[in-house]
Amino acid sequence: MLRREDWLPLARKLDWDYSYVREEEVFPEVISGRPWLPHSEWKDWEESFKTSYREYVDNQYEKDMAVYAVRDAVGRIENVEKLSAPWINSLKVHSAALPLAEFTGVIGNLRGARFGRDSAWRTMATFGALDEYRHTQIPLLLFHHLVKFDPQFDWTHKFYHTNNWFAVAARHFFDELTVGQNAIEFHIATNVILETGFTNLQFVGLASLARESSDHMFERMVTSIQTDEARHAQIGHPVLQTVMKHDPEYVQYLVDKWFWRNWRIFSILTGLSIDYLTALDQRPYSFKEFMEEWIIDQFLRTLDEFGLKKPWYWDTVMDELDIYHHMIYASAYSYRATLWFNFVIPGPAERKWLRQKYPRYWDEMDAVWEQTSERWRAVGPGASNELAVHGTVLPTFCDLCQLPLSAGTPRKNSAKVLLYENRKYIFCSEPCQWIFLHEPERYANHKDVVKRVLSGEAPAQLPNLLTEYFMLSPDTWGKDVHSGDYEWLRDLKTTTA
Amino acid sequence: MSIPLYGFLQGDTVGLVILAEEDDTLQALAQKLQVAASLRVAYRDQVQVVYNDQTMDPAMTVAQAGLQPLDRFDVVAG
Repeated sequence: MLRREDWLPLARKLDWDYSYVREEEVFPEVISGRPWLPHSEWKDWEESFKTSYREYVDNQYEKDMAVYAVRDAVGRIENVEKLSAPWINSLKVHSAALPLAEFTGVIGNLRGARFGRDSAWRTMATFGALDEYRHTQIPLLLFHHLVKFDPQFDWTHKFYHTNNWFAVAARHFFDELTVGQNAIEFHIATNVILETGFTNLQFVGLASLARESSDHMFERMVTSIQTDEARHAQIGHPVLQTVMKHDPEYVQYLVDKWFWRNWRIFSILTGLSIDYLTALDQRPYSFKEFMEEWIIDQFLRTLDEFGLKKPWYWDTVMDELDIYHHMIYASAYSYRATLWFNFVIPGPAERKWLRQKYPRYWDEMDAVWEQTSERWRAVGPGASNELAVHGTVLPTFCDLCQLPLSAGTPRKNSAKVLLYENRKYIFCSEPCQWIFLHEPERYANHKDVVKRVLSGEAPAQLPNLLTEYFMLSPDTWGKDVHSGDYEWLRDLKTTTA
Repeated sequence: MSIPLYGFLQGDTVGLVILAEEDDTLQALAQKLQVAASLRVAYRDQVQVVYNDQTMDPAMTVAQAGLQPLDRFDVVAG
C-alpha cells in the first residue's frame, strides 16, 4: 500500500489528455452538468480532507466497530422496549426514510465519480459512494432484528418499494436529487444544501434527541454517519465556486430550488420527531429553535460566503417555521392508517409547551386538537374505535412535492391551481409552483396520489388504497399509540389558553 | 356525473377531495366539506363558499357556479 504522501499526487490528482475522443464526449453536458467548461476551468478543484484510500478504510473500519459495539451493548429488543412509545415511532419514521434514500446517494456519488470534471472530485465522490453504501447497510442491519419486536419496523426496507403517499413524495425528492441528476446539480444540491444544511437536522438534531431519549444505539449510528457526511459534503463547495464564476444565476436557481425541496421533506421528517414524537420531558428544544440555530444561520453564512442572495421565498420559510409541520402532523394524525407508524395526540402539557414555542398560530392548531380529542371523547377509547377517529375522504397532495396540501395556515391554505397545457395542477405553495414552471418537462407527467385514484391506477376506497396500494395491513398501519385512552381526555376541558 | 373538487375548509389543516354532483347546491357542497373535515373542525351553521375569490350564492348549483373538475373552492365562516 502506498504512503499517503506518495498516493496523493499519483492517484488523486490524475487527469488525462485525450487523444482520440473529445473532452465533451468523455464528459457530456447532459450527465456531467452545466455549464460545460473545459478541464482548464476545473483543474484547481480542491477540498481539504485529501483522504487516501488506506486512511479511508482504516477510519471506516474503526467507526463500524464502534457502532457494532454499541449495538451489542444497548441494541437489544429489551433496550428498545424501555424507550418511550412516541420515540419508538420516531425511530420507525427515520428507519424507513433513511437507508434506501442513502442508497440513491450511492448512485449520485458514482455519477460524480465518473462524470465529475476533475480527478480529485472523482476520487472524493468514490469515497462518498462508499459512505452512502455504509449509511444504507448500517440502519438496515440495526433495525432488522426489531421486526420481531414490532412489524412496523419492516418498513425500514419496505418503505421505498411501496406506493405509500409519503414514499411517493420521498421518492420524488430523492430520485430527482440523486438518481436522475447530472453531476454538477447533484453535488451542489446534495453536498451544499442537503448535507451542509439539512442533514444537521437528521444527524445532529436527532442524535441529541436520541441521547435525551436514552436511545444510545440510534445516537451512535447517526453520529457515525454524520462524520462521513462532514467529509464528502466538501465536494459541493468547490463545484459551486467554479460554476459561480461562469453562471451565478444558475447557481442561485439551484440554491433556491433545492433549499425549498429540502425544507419540505425535512420539516416533516424532523419537525414531527422533535415536536411530537419525543416525550415532552426529553425535548431539548423545539424544531423551530433547532432550525434557527443549526440550519438558517449556517445557510445564510454559506450564501454570504459565495455572494448568493436569500431565496426569493425566504419570508415564506420563516412563516412556515411556525406552522407547516404542525398542520402536517394534525392532518397525518387524522389519516394515520395511511402511514406505517403510530401517533400520539398532544395532551394539555404538550399543547402548553407548543403554545409557548409557537405562539403565533397555536390558537388555530389548538382548536383542531380540541375537536379531534372531542371525537375520542365521544366514541370512547379502544382499538375498535380507531377508524371512528379517522378521516374518511381522500386528502389532497401537491403536484410538485407530492405532500399533503397543508401549507399556509388553517385560516388560509396556500394551495394554488394552475392550468398548464390543458391539464390542471395544484401546488401547496408558490415555491412549489415556481419550481414546476421552471422545469415542467421534468415534472408534468408525474401523477400525485389523487390523480392516480381518479385515473383508476389506485383504488378509490380507503381500505383498498391502504392494503393494495400503500401496502399496509391492519398489523402495520398507523394507530393512536394509546388507542385514545388518555387520562387527560377524561377531563371535560383541555384547552391550554 | 360526479365532479372531483379540491375543498378547503377554513380552520382545517389539509385540503380534501370532495365529489360534487352538478346539481348540488353550493350550500350542500359546503356541508359535504364540513362533514368530511368534522374530525378536525367544528361544524359551523353559517358558512360561505368562495370560488375564484368570489363569495358565491349558496342557492346556486355546482354547474351554475361553473365549478370544473379539480377546481379549488373554499368554505369560510360567514
